[in-house]
Amino acid sequence: MTSWLARKRESGLLLAIPTIAWLLILFVLPLVIVLIVSFMSRGRGGVAIMPFTIEHYQRTFGIFSIILWRSIGLAALTTVVCLVIGYPLAFFISTRRNRLFQQVTLFLVILPFWTNFLIRTYAWRILLGDEGTINGFLTSLGLIEEPMKMLNTQFAVVVGLVYGFLPFMVLPIYASVERFNFRYVDAAQDLGANDLRTFLRVVLPLTLPGVLAGCALVFIPSVGAFVTPDLLGGTKGLMIGNLINNQFGGSGNMPLGSALSIVMMALVMLSLVVYLLANRRDRGS
Amino acid sequence: MSTYDVELTDIVKEFESGGAIVRAVDHVSVQIADGEFFALLGPSGCGKTTTLRLIAGFEQPTAGHILIRGRAMEGIPAYHRPVNTVFQDYALFPHLTVAQNIMFGLQMEGVNKKDARKRAEEALEMVRLPGVGKRKPHQLSGGQQQRVALARALVKQPAVLLLDEPLGALDLKLRKNMQYELKALQRDVGITFIYVTHDQEEAITMADRIAVMNEGKMLQVGRPEEIYERPGRRFVADFIGETNFIPATLLGRDAGGQGRVQLPTGDVITALLSDALEAASGAVTLALRPERIGISAQLGSDDAEDSDITILDAILVDSQYIGTDTRYTLRIAEDTDLVARVQNVDGGDKAALETGQAVKISWRLSSTTVLDH
Repeated sequence: MTSWLARKRESGLLLAIPTIAWLLILFVLPLVIVLIVSFMSRGRGGVAIMPFTIEHYQRTFGIFSIILWRSIGLAALTTVVCLVIGYPLAFFISTRRNRLFQQVTLFLVILPFWTNFLIRTYAWRILLGDEGTINGFLTSLGLIEEPMKMLNTQFAVVVGLVYGFLPFMVLPIYASVERFNFRYVDAAQDLGANDLRTFLRVVLPLTLPGVLAGCALVFIPSVGAFVTPDLLGGTKGLMIGNLINNQFGGSGNMPLGSALSIVMMALVMLSLVVYLLANRRDRGS
Repeated sequence: MSTYDVELTDIVKEFESGGAIVRAVDHVSVQIADGEFFALLGPSGCGKTTTLRLIAGFEQPTAGHILIRGRAMEGIPAYHRPVNTVFQDYALFPHLTVAQNIMFGLQMEGVNKKDARKRAEEALEMVRLPGVGKRKPHQLSGGQQQRVALARALVKQPAVLLLDEPLGALDLKLRKNMQYELKALQRDVGITFIYVTHDQEEAITMADRIAVMNEGKMLQVGRPEEIYERPGRRFVADFIGETNFIPATLLGRDAGGQGRVQLPTGDVITALLSDALEAASGAVTLALRPERIGISAQLGSDDAEDSDITILDAILVDSQYIGTDTRYTLRIAEDTDLVARVQNVDGGDKAALETGQAVKISWRLSSTTVLDH
């Protein structure tokens, strides 16, 4: 029995080797390289050369801090808007009695994924442009005389991000509400709680895991987004993702790009830690 | 002001299910007195839980009126009704501690935290669970959760406590104990209990009055002994305890609620007619409880004299020892078997009866009920 178990353990380790190798070579190693490069100096053509320096971090938190904060702000705003739209939507879908209706609506939520993200984001350019669909429509109605400036603003970036990441908010909340036992609503009302209090004291706390997961799934990719701000935000909507992207082009700055990447990664890690702590507090004690 | 705590008048509740209209509650009217322990008894799907949910305010009746303490409940949401519910699965909030669960209802009333905490502790003591306030519901056993659910509802001091199969999830032994405790608790607090159950024994042992429901209709309402001794319908007699149903023909009604019926054996006997009996003559059913049938190898001389006693010849077809009792299957006519249950008093004096033996069976007039076929 013992030997069988021992063998079992060994074979388990053997089975894990490809995964471990994969992670080491393709994840840990590049990360270490990026970390090292971020402390190196910029050479001709943007490559990294010796000696070591902390100059890039100084710039990141110096002149680029405005873009850092903007990224966090836009990602946070995106998360809040996704939550405000996504929670009622997920709640509505998961409380339908008609199973088919549920499945069709969920399918519709996921449907945009079937088209390339780039194309979908381009579509927003057509909608939001100065001579785009929305402005054209409003002008033809005579509601506005001058086209509204929507494209190449932070507003457009948030619209694009919300559009892109809304399903990541809807799906985990849907799963949470689906698991929620509506007997608790009866119980709360029975004990004298009106609809609002029932929601705040019972429904929301019990679906919080889904809310937290949704927020993490929206916030994290939003912070690092670069396609959406690139296409919809112009210079006013520039985010940290774009900045990093630019450092690895022709006249870029690889060490600076690496430093920005490391800072962004730290940001994501931080929000993950917040998520895990919130989740733990919710489950524990 | 009404003298009743809860009054239902001609309640109808219809649901739509797959395009069809299902009538879950069908013209139910009942009055429940203050301080009464009232049981709604019936098989699953009979409408008893729906009736409870209508009183609680989780559902609105399609037609009819509900009064609680004389106040019409139309348009009054569940959270404004003076009733509280103990749910079948307890529905204790899993994210709150036991104490927070009990305090929940008080805080909704605006009781401050300190007072709420004190009253929650008292409620826990009342259900004999002191000191578990800081635990989460999932850390308690089923029986303990049941008590917490009870405390959470009672701490609100409702006019009426609604209990939806509260003991259904507990094992047999615990259920028995809780039956006594619940009954004692109800007597102490003096609150009206409306108790939904499918367990006839539970209803009989606990309730002051029982309403037997089937297919949305309230078939009979009465004290346990009325329901057991004088069932109004075949369904009631069948659902509560074990009953022999003998096909019979009603020959005529006599004074004093009695009638003459002819049995399949050809014998014409006198039997008590149910108050609910509609037939004036013709095919009826004679209901007879197995434990009311006497059985002996030969006739006692006193019995033959007593006109209240019916005596028939029968063949003992089968006997089955079931511990406290022995069940005898007796054939009185072709296709007509009766079951008699005789208590085993002293180590098998009935063992003398053998299968295939001719015996005399007897019953008293008071044990009979003639029901509609």
